[in-house]
Amino acid sequence: MVVVVVVVGAYFYLQPGKPTELHILNWQGYGTDEAWAVQIFEEKSGVKVIHDNFNSEQEMLTKLRTSPGVYDVVLINSAFTEQAVAEGVLQPIDSTKIANFADLSAELRDSTRFNIDGKLYGVAWVWGVTSFAYNTEALTAAPASIQVLWDPAYVGRIGWRDDAVESVQLAAIATGQDMNNPADIEAVRQKLHALKGQIKTFWSSEDEWNKFMGAKDFDVATYWSGSAARSKKAFSLPVDFVVPEEGAIGWFDGLSIAKDAPNAEAAHQFIDFMVSPEFYVRWDTDVGAPASSNGKANAQLPEDAMNRAVLGDPAVVARLQWMAPMSDEQRAQYQELWDETKAYFAQ
Amino acid sequence: MKASTKVPGLLSLSLRLYLGLVLFFLYLPIAVMMIMAFNRSSLYLLPIEFDTVWFEALADNWRLIDAGVNSVALAIVNTVVATALGTAAALAMARYRFRGRTLLQLLLFPPITIPWLIIGTSMLVMFFWIGIGRGFHAMLLGHVALSLPYVIVVVGARLKSFGTGLEEAAATLGATPWQAFRRVSVPVMAPGVVAAALFAFAVSFDQFVISYFLAPPGVSTLPVEIYSSIRKGFTPEINAISTIIILVSMALMLAISRFYRFGGER
Amino acid sequence: MNADQRRRVAVLGLTAPAYLWLVLTIFLPLSAMLYFSFLTEAPFGGRQPVATLAHYRSILTKDLYLDLTWRSLRMGMDVTIACILLGYPAALALARHVKGRWREAMFLLIVLPFWSNALVRTFSWTMTLRGDGLVDRAIHWVVPGMPSLDILFSYPAVVVGLVHAYLPYMILTCYVSLQAIDESLIEAARVLGAPGRTVFRRIVLPLSLPGLLAGTVLIFVPVIGSFMEPRILGGVAGSAMLGTVIEEQFTRIFNWPFGAALSFTLLAIVLLILGLAAPFLRRTLRTA
Repeated sequence: MVVVVVVVGAYFYLQPGKPTELHILNWQGYGTDEAWAVQIFEEKSGVKVIHDNFNSEQEMLTKLRTSPGVYDVVLINSAFTEQAVAEGVLQPIDSTKIANFADLSAELRDSTRFNIDGKLYGVAWVWGVTSFAYNTEALTAAPASIQVLWDPAYVGRIGWRDDAVESVQLAAIATGQDMNNPADIEAVRQKLHALKGQIKTFWSSEDEWNKFMGAKDFDVATYWSGSAARSKKAFSLPVDFVVPEEGAIGWFDGLSIAKDAPNAEAAHQFIDFMVSPEFYVRWDTDVGAPASSNGKANAQLPEDAMNRAVLGDPAVVARLQWMAPMSDEQRAQYQELWDETKAYFAQ
Repeated sequence: MKASTKVPGLLSLSLRLYLGLVLFFLYLPIAVMMIMAFNRSSLYLLPIEFDTVWFEALADNWRLIDAGVNSVALAIVNTVVATALGTAAALAMARYRFRGRTLLQLLLFPPITIPWLIIGTSMLVMFFWIGIGRGFHAMLLGHVALSLPYVIVVVGARLKSFGTGLEEAAATLGATPWQAFRRVSVPVMAPGVVAAALFAFAVSFDQFVISYFLAPPGVSTLPVEIYSSIRKGFTPEINAISTIIILVSMALMLAISRFYRFGGER
Repeated sequence: MNADQRRRVAVLGLTAPAYLWLVLTIFLPLSAMLYFSFLTEAPFGGRQPVATLAHYRSILTKDLYLDLTWRSLRMGMDVTIACILLGYPAALALARHVKGRWREAMFLLIVLPFWSNALVRTFSWTMTLRGDGLVDRAIHWVVPGMPSLDILFSYPAVVVGLVHAYLPYMILTCYVSLQAIDESLIEAARVLGAPGRTVFRRIVLPLSLPGLLAGTVLIFVPVIGSFMEPRILGGVAGSAMLGTVIEEQFTRIFNWPFGAALSFTLLAIVLLILGLAAPFLRRTLRTA
């Protein structure tokens, strides 16, 4: 009897209510869930914003596949949009309902990653760079080359993200290859093996990176541009981001609408708000963010903002290699290469 | 407790001292966790600057508090259900030989062997296919499944150490099976059942993957919040809520122990 | 109802709920996973998978996966042995040398760390074990000349973290068994002149063996699949384990079939080890 009462009671307690809601699927702490932003949007639209998070692109796709009719807006890295469309988990977006659409950088907005079969499946939102940052107290001058990660002067002082694709891409750049399709995979393997002893430990999230950097575990560590801005601004860490002469990994994220979204109308509104200067300028200024796809928004940033000063420089952008979609086989191959490298490190 | 007085005093004393050392080891990181709840730096940097800012922040963090309440509710329901089902099964396995006994024993291994991530993923897929979906019911299904092996193994170990002698004696003396169960088996099992319930609570209270996959959007549990904060920022707020949970459960258990002897009567 | 029928009803009534529950939540979903492990890719999003043995073949033939399996098994053994050596005496002390209220309090104190979140605990260990961390500073404050305690990001750190996480299992299961031993048996042995060591070897140890074994299973089995503690505490040394690789197959790359194949290989190894150990254990129990 007690059991039944407890079970039934808890059942009703834990069921979510369902008035006009907007369900968003995104990384945690990635703009859409900023409390002030949610508040502004809820007041504007009268719709309650509810977030659900994922910890990897694969998990995001799994959640979309197994929960049809649950999510409205979903953040997808442009390299994955095509796959999501092919699996039929997204619906086309009506760009006429996005007032800020015309202000988005044409290069990102009209990219074939988002425009598939003449339909729009993602609205370009933000973009950024993956390379490395260094501790300005440990290194007096900014290293110009990616080879600093392999420099014996920093043995045991390097931070590296435990991620197969990123590791292979960085090693490909360091060996002067096309990171999306390295011709000499053996050179990549040897370059990765050469990191043995260099790495202090792996990091897996921005938060972890900040803590390791704060505890002086790293001199130089691979990192993301938007996060570097945050580490500097929000956490006052003595770090600077570098886009080395050999180049770096460029990526851009889009906001998409899930197939059978219960609230597609509000989803369009929300996406429009997300690409507006009103949201973006405050996000980058108060918190720190990747670069906006909206040129007008970037132009309103303070002049010393990294997203304007560094990533706004066409010479820097020209050095980037943009992340391309990848086949499952390629991913599996990189993963095995990286696991084998880690086993070699641990020996 | 007559025997312990006969054990050489030195051995007994050093064993007790040793127990103290083990407790020290168990509480070392807990103490560090509590200390860091009072440290101002959000990056856990030293030296410590005393501050209660994280407790103040926690008071306004309804997301974390709601998640904590959800976790406690789910863990309690899970403990009741898993302990009841598991004790019944353990009793049957210890007292009867029956067909399918080995099968049940084998079914207990996957939940503790296969990483929870894979169990969670396959539950998500299967529950989607057969229409169970996501929600509290789905979370409870998953939590109980993961707790059952612990309950069955712990209660089973207790029953095995006791053997069937007492129940047989009761039966010989003319007790009905129900009387034998009520008067002999229940007291015999009690400490094992209590330990099993504590396990079941711990398994559910710390279970992340299942809740993460099966909770409906907008509902979250404490472990889900904690694991997700790896990305957003693992702040001392989490130390603060963990500190409160430890202290409250300590007080609660000490209060209950005044009425019930956890360690068994003998 | 005759005795046999009554017995059957009792067995059915006691076990059916647990059976049904486990079949629905464990057996069915894992059967789907087992099925996936024989496919070239997971059957989602219009993919057309084909049956294959390639995943298992690759696990059994590539050095990488043998190496990972061995490393994980060794970790499981190290942690389990450490837990037995540390936990059994503690359980013995608790069950036989602590009395009354003290025992209740100790029992609770051993369970409580368990109720804190595993990630929070692991994270506290990173602050405890790092050079110039909280404990390192405390030690140097007391004894200035001590060498620095800096074992974070190493295999020993992983073992410390895992032993801490699983030690209460061993203490509790051993305690539950030790506490069940009939005092009069020990009394009788003493009266007959058996020295303490013999009493322990011939009575206490054999009778508490079920608890010791239960603890061993509850520790060894999950430890070999663990990935959180190795990754956070072990750094480079802990990131190449079977558990971490399985996790990556699911979260980083959409290779459920291979991840599932690795998991079921792990399950098979566990069952094989326990299957081989079972006759030996049964004999030990019987001679006791």
